[in-house]
Amino acid sequence: MTKQTRANSIILVLTTLLSLTLTAVVVAQEPRLESRVPDPPRSEINAILDSARAVGLPTEPLVDRALEGVSKGAGPDLVLEAVRRLNTELVAARDALGDQSSDAEIVAGASALRAGASPEDLTYLRQLRPDQPLTVAAAVLADLVAVGVPLDTAVAAVVALAEQAADAEYIAFRKNVERDISLGASPVTALGVRLEAAADHLDLGSRNPAPRPRKP
Amino acid sequence: MSDRGDKLDRAIDLLKEPVTLDASFDTRVMSEVESAPSPRIWTQRVWTAIDWMTRGRTVTVSPLAGAAVAVGVAMVLLTGRNWISQDTTEPTGLAELAGVQFVIIAPAATSVSLVGDFNDWATSATPMQPVEGNGVWSVTVPLSAGRYRYAFLVNGDTWLSDPSAPPVLDDEFGRPGSVLTIGEL
Repeated sequence: MTKQTRANSIILVLTTLLSLTLTAVVVAQEPRLESRVPDPPRSEINAILDSARAVGLPTEPLVDRALEGVSKGAGPDLVLEAVRRLNTELVAARDALGDQSSDAEIVAGASALRAGASPEDLTYLRQLRPDQPLTVAAAVLADLVAVGVPLDTAVAAVVALAEQAADAEYIAFRKNVERDISLGASPVTALGVRLEAAADHLDLGSRNPAPRPRKP
Repeated sequence: MSDRGDKLDRAIDLLKEPVTLDASFDTRVMSEVESAPSPRIWTQRVWTAIDWMTRGRTVTVSPLAGAAVAVGVAMVLLTGRNWISQDTTEPTGLAELAGVQFVIIAPAATSVSLVGDFNDWATSATPMQPVEGNGVWSVTVPLSAGRYRYAFLVNGDTWLSDPSAPPVLDDEFGRPGSVLTIGEL
């Protein structure tokens, strides 16, 4: 091998390495964060996005959460912590709901976990509604907790409706509970009344869902 | 023997007569030749190509050309990843959009914007319109199925949640917000 050939080979290897490095660095940048999110925490958020992308998690909600924080004037630490926390919840939601879950289901599942539901609750919901999207059911669970319904009561109601209720019925149920609460009913009372009405409408009494798994 | 000699002479005379060929003879012959399978030539071509591809060569690359190739490779890979990223982040099977009307009552407001996950939290992307000057502000946004966080920004500095929607749980940013869930259409 002549000196010229050896030099050319070295240059070729170096440029290949340069291209791979450049690719890795550039790919990690989320364009929507570039002009909106300062660094820090932009680099750390990009790293979280990369890891989420690598395991097939939706990155859109993570970007949205970072942009929300910046628009609302939150500091870098607060924005980064919010993105980290959401990423953890998305991972847990996907694990609980299964690898075939849609992005919307994973996001709604993460909301339910944020509301206090357990991963076992989500897995059980999936078992009860194997052929229907869980987006609305999981979201209604989170929404009920957000308007003051105790967690266990909200989980029990959503599970009770799981086998029979369509998405529209879940949403109507939630709206009715919210309306009753806004009119002065206690959250538990509102939920009880509306669940009873839904049970009559959906004929829930004729079915016995499988027992809900308990935490060890 | 004389009879045999006569036949031989006639045959020789026949062979001595000039042969007259059809004018299109050459064309027809070449056409047949070209249409006939010739595996040997095809095989030779393949082996020649393989030999050409596997033969060692010395490639001379200038630093500038190498860098240009490197940048080109990086751009191709980058563009490819972006396509994949866009495909995976788009909700599957949720192509249909629902027109969702957002309404807020803000009599003292001079401007109200709808800000949320659906517009990258851009504070001026979705201005709301006053409804007949009675303090009601409204806008309709097409949304696909999913769960969205949003808020109203009044006069560019005051964040309000939507009183007709569930509030955001445990908001990390210290500002009010609401959530909206749209089922699959």
